[in-house]
Amino acid sequence: MTVRALLGLAIGNAVVLTTGACLLWGVRGLRSWVELARLAGLAYMIGVVALGVALSIELVLGVPFGTPTIALTCLGLIVAGLVLGRRLGRGRVPLRGGGSDGLGLVAAAYGALVVVYAEALFRAGRLAALSNYDGWAFWIPRAQAIYFRGGLDERFFRDLPNPTYPPLVPSLEAAAFHAMGSPDVVTLHVQFWFFLTGFVAAVAGLLAPRVHTALLWPVLLLVLVAPRVVARALEPQADFLLDYLFALAALLVALWLVERQTWTLCTASLFLAGAMLTKREGQLLAACVVLGALAASWGTRRAAWPRIVLAGGCALALALPWRIWFTARNLSGELPTSGFLGLFRHLDRPWPAVESVVRILVDFELWLLVPPLATIAVLLAFAGGARVLPTYAALVYGLSAAGFVWVLWSFTELELPFVQDEGVNPIVRLCNSLVMLSAGLVPLLLDAAWRGGDGTERQR
Amino acid sequence: MVAWLAVTVALGLVYFVRAVDRLGDEASKNAAANYDDRAFGGGNSLGVDKQALTEARGWIPDSASYRLLVPTDAADLRNFVRYFLMPRRPDPDASWVLCYGCDLAGLGSRLEVVWKNDAGITVGRLSG
Repeated sequence: MTVRALLGLAIGNAVVLTTGACLLWGVRGLRSWVELARLAGLAYMIGVVALGVALSIELVLGVPFGTPTIALTCLGLIVAGLVLGRRLGRGRVPLRGGGSDGLGLVAAAYGALVVVYAEALFRAGRLAALSNYDGWAFWIPRAQAIYFRGGLDERFFRDLPNPTYPPLVPSLEAAAFHAMGSPDVVTLHVQFWFFLTGFVAAVAGLLAPRVHTALLWPVLLLVLVAPRVVARALEPQADFLLDYLFALAALLVALWLVERQTWTLCTASLFLAGAMLTKREGQLLAACVVLGALAASWGTRRAAWPRIVLAGGCALALALPWRIWFTARNLSGELPTSGFLGLFRHLDRPWPAVESVVRILVDFELWLLVPPLATIAVLLAFAGGARVLPTYAALVYGLSAAGFVWVLWSFTELELPFVQDEGVNPIVRLCNSLVMLSAGLVPLLLDAAWRGGDGTERQR
Repeated sequence: MVAWLAVTVALGLVYFVRAVDRLGDEASKNAAANYDDRAFGGGNSLGVDKQALTEARGWIPDSASYRLLVPTDAADLRNFVRYFLMPRRPDPDASWVLCYGCDLAGLGSRLEVVWKNDAGITVGRLSG
């Protein structure tokens, strides 16, 4: 709760931004510093996910966790980005040049609104107490355990609820504690403000040169002001970060489907790995993205499928060490107690499960009209003549929603109909991922509808 | 498409104002809270005994482990105490004891009580 903690957090996040910028330069290249400024949000989120994945793997391998490890990991990632950039022939980054189209009136006006919103959110989170149940029951104790004991304490993790939940968020929280100089769970809310701000900047930066500002910013603002986002985005738990990583992965895959730039798929693979290492449902969401991409690229499957499978495989490989760690220690709780096929013994559950998911997705009090508007955007894109993007979007939304139904159906300890308070309702949390996804996909769909095609001919 | 955009813009602007208002209220509420309110967070809604947990923090060394004796149906309390007393480690065999409405008779005469209150909460240490 001190200025020192805030300053430490700001410096820590600046290091993460630098790390991500080097990785982005390596994998994509940058035409100017102005373009880097536009993509700073994406660079930051790449830094977050790369650091989170690396720290998770180091924890599993038993590398002692502390400030030197965090600093060396960032340094290693920076060097990796620079080496990759040199090998791929990336040039110096000039001050001005391509990718600097300026800011229009609509973008400036909406940008100002987003800044006001972010400032209000920062003030609300700055002195917030740790009140949410999952936060103090297991997410923060894990981070505290990593911070105080310098690694994964098997016995302690075993005693906590949900012992198989992956370590990406606790490791990032523990890194934030080191940056702040103490395990300050109040100021920790500001770390989640950085995540949200980075996500919004990443979506805006990625889509600004592709999508008309009048289609991009209103959607972004609508997602941000959805009541559940306002109320819960800064809670120190994994749900919102999972949603950001999933949404960015899905958006980058969508861009790859229409533009076929290798860097978008490479980066998407990293975000998918991050999603899988954030929460167990990250695996479900990652599978939906991969399946959606495979189906949407049916027309070019000979060229596209090996690349999509490789990207998915790389993501899975990065998430594998954690699975090996908890499986080797007989930690359980990852799957339904009745197993994968046990759901067929509960045929009274699927319909109430569908009802529960649909009811939550159209709940105005939670996310205004975002999911219905996203559905209409898919239809508009189809009607406008686009095929790849709306097919992909429809599949990612549809498969995810089907996955949520499966969760309610197969985890029989969840009572149906599911009417739990939204604060502790797991299906509300799952559906939130589709709302954050809409921040990136819906502007792209509207743009496709507006232009009357997927825009596969445009190379940015 | 125009109707879609109109709905999105209108909803966004109306709820932007509400969001900023709500966040302002939240910021004021958080700023008005005292140190204890912030430190205990979720414990406030659980109704934990703040003084008892603060005493436990004071008496039990950071590097020590403690045995938490609570009623069997108090899983939330158990989770909160584990969070609040970090980095102290919960251990059923520890010599430090935090008894939260438990029956002390089971511990015999070996318990040296260092703090207790009228609500039946005891912090102590087992000898021998």
